Amino acid sequence: MVCENQPRFMGRSLNESTDGRIKDQKIGEGTYAVVYRGREASTGRKVAIKKIKVGQFKDGLDMSAIREVKYLRELKHQNVIELLDVFSSKTNLNLVLEFLDTDLELVIKDRSLVFLPADIKSWMAMTFRGLEFCHRNWILHRDLKPNNLLIAADGQLKLADFGLARDFADPGYKMTCQVITRWYRPPELLFGCRYYSTAVDIWSVGCIFAELMLRTPYLPGESDMDQLKTTFRALGTPTEEEWPGHTKLPDYVSVGQFPKTPLRDLFTAATPDAINLLSKCLTYDPKKRISAKRRPLSSLFLRDAIPHAPVQIT
Amino acid sequence: MFRAPLQRSLAAVSKTRQVGPQNTFQWTTNVRCESCIDRLFTLGPAPCPICGKTLRKLAFTPQTFEDLGVEKEVAVRRRIAKDFNKRPEDFPDLRAYNDYLEEVEDITFNLINDIDVPETEARIAKYKKENAALIELNIQREEQYAQYLKEQEDSERLEREQRAEELRRLDEEEREEREKGKQELIDKLETSDKDAIKLVARARAEAHKRASARIASSNPSLSATNLARARATQAAAMPDVPHVPIQDDWYAYEDKYVVRDTYDDPVSEAVRRDREGIMRAGGYRVEEAWERALRCAIAGLEIPPLQGLHAVESPSPDVVMAVA
Repeated sequence: MVCENQPRFMGRSLNESTDGRIKDQKIGEGTYAVVYRGREASTGRKVAIKKIKVGQFKDGLDMSAIREVKYLRELKHQNVIELLDVFSSKTNLNLVLEFLDTDLELVIKDRSLVFLPADIKSWMAMTFRGLEFCHRNWILHRDLKPNNLLIAADGQLKLADFGLARDFADPGYKMTCQVITRWYRPPELLFGCRYYSTAVDIWSVGCIFAELMLRTPYLPGESDMDQLKTTFRALGTPTEEEWPGHTKLPDYVSVGQFPKTPLRDLFTAATPDAINLLSKCLTYDPKKRISAKRRPLSSLFLRDAIPHAPVQIT
Repeated sequence: MFRAPLQRSLAAVSKTRQVGPQNTFQWTTNVRCESCIDRLFTLGPAPCPICGKTLRKLAFTPQTFEDLGVEKEVAVRRRIAKDFNKRPEDFPDLRAYNDYLEEVEDITFNLINDIDVPETEARIAKYKKENAALIELNIQREEQYAQYLKEQEDSERLEREQRAEELRRLDEEEREEREKGKQELIDKLETSDKDAIKLVARARAEAHKRASARIASSNPSLSATNLARARATQAAAMPDVPHVPIQDDWYAYEDKYVVRDTYDDPVSEAVRRDREGIMRAGGYRVEEAWERALRCAIAGLEIPPLQGLHAVESPSPDVVMAVA
């Protein structure tokens, strides 16, 4: 599973500005890394180089860098970003990733693009495929959002940014609930649940699905508390019957009763199949939420029609 | 509920639970007038004065057909259709579908004519058990189709109403304009000293111009709907590639193990004992931890032992449960 046959970049095959790596352009900067666009000297293949800032962390390497390397080394799938190599230069750690042209957030924001239902289906199918692969390998992504779904030149969608990923916990082993970007965070994490499962990623996928149809974030909460309110306002306050045991979760608070409005009222143009899948992704009880594994069998949204071959986005 | 004349008779093609070792159902047919039913069954289930079986008021429905045989057949068919809802596409070929239809007809016939009832009921139960998933799926399909039909109907009705409204508005405008033109002409004829024939001719020409302008202005909306329709059909006509849910060939050893319902596992005891559901409300499933341990153990079986080490530990589930 580990990429054995990948070209090695250690110092020589990539031209560093000082010792021969071709570093074209800075394309982004996060809290713990700077991303450059580069080229593989021998083949000219475009790559993204993620330079991790090591110096500023007193406790050594940032956790997310370790997570990213740890999981991406193991995962190789057409719908998961590929880690080509890891090398160090001076005091920095560099991750060499495959270069992808755009991400779903940019695509959603670009008003000149018109989405056909088939485009949305195709993106959803690819997201589910990538996610199913992660889950099959016991890895939770824990930061799914349009910004982290990258789109390659040939239209393939790939899961990226495994900085918050982790493998499944041993029984009774606590996991943090401070993960997943707020707008895509499921209610069980907002209630401070420390034992969760693959269902958290599915909720995010549901939010992304809704966002693709609305072209605007579906549940934009301003704070963690407001996120709960926003969620319940949109989907109705869960009852004990709908989601057994949720009132016993550590940070449970009552944020008021909101009535359930049918999804159909908001998503007027969606087909019944799409509404059905959306409601199964946004089910309150994590145990009843659909899983990436069962999704292909579920005869829902992908039943009759069927995502197109990946669309060309320029 | 019963709005018909008081003496209307009600038939009970009732599903009566027969007390017996097999708990089978039996169909009985009774006819009563409404007041008798009220009298006999208001206080709950009571034995039928004729056949002696215990009946309930709820089991009686208004009689639709004069022939009670037909009434019974309809009830039986309704019941059978609920479970035997397979579609032609659920079968590999026409032959299999026809065989299935034949079997359904056999069962229906048996029930209608009270032939081998216990055996037939057993057949139905067996079928229901074997095809539970498919039955459920077909019920869902049916519901979705009904929903779809309803939506389509609604949207058509809305469109019709809008069109009618639009037409009414246009008519109204036209009439008002005509009235106004007429009034203007009369006024002009009153006040002006020009030739009356010329004035009338000009007024007519203006009216004509206005009418054609109105027709032209009502056209764009028509073309807009046409455009939308064209786009929709274009989207529908795009070729669809068959959906392949999983496209990689990563082998997960799933054929090499079966996860049991429970294990003697001290590590997960806290989770399993968690009656309050704190650990489970978030969707945590111990079964996944077990499955992971099992798969990792199986995956390790084919790795040859390392050479040159004197103590080689056999892979065990505990070793592979890495913690992030």
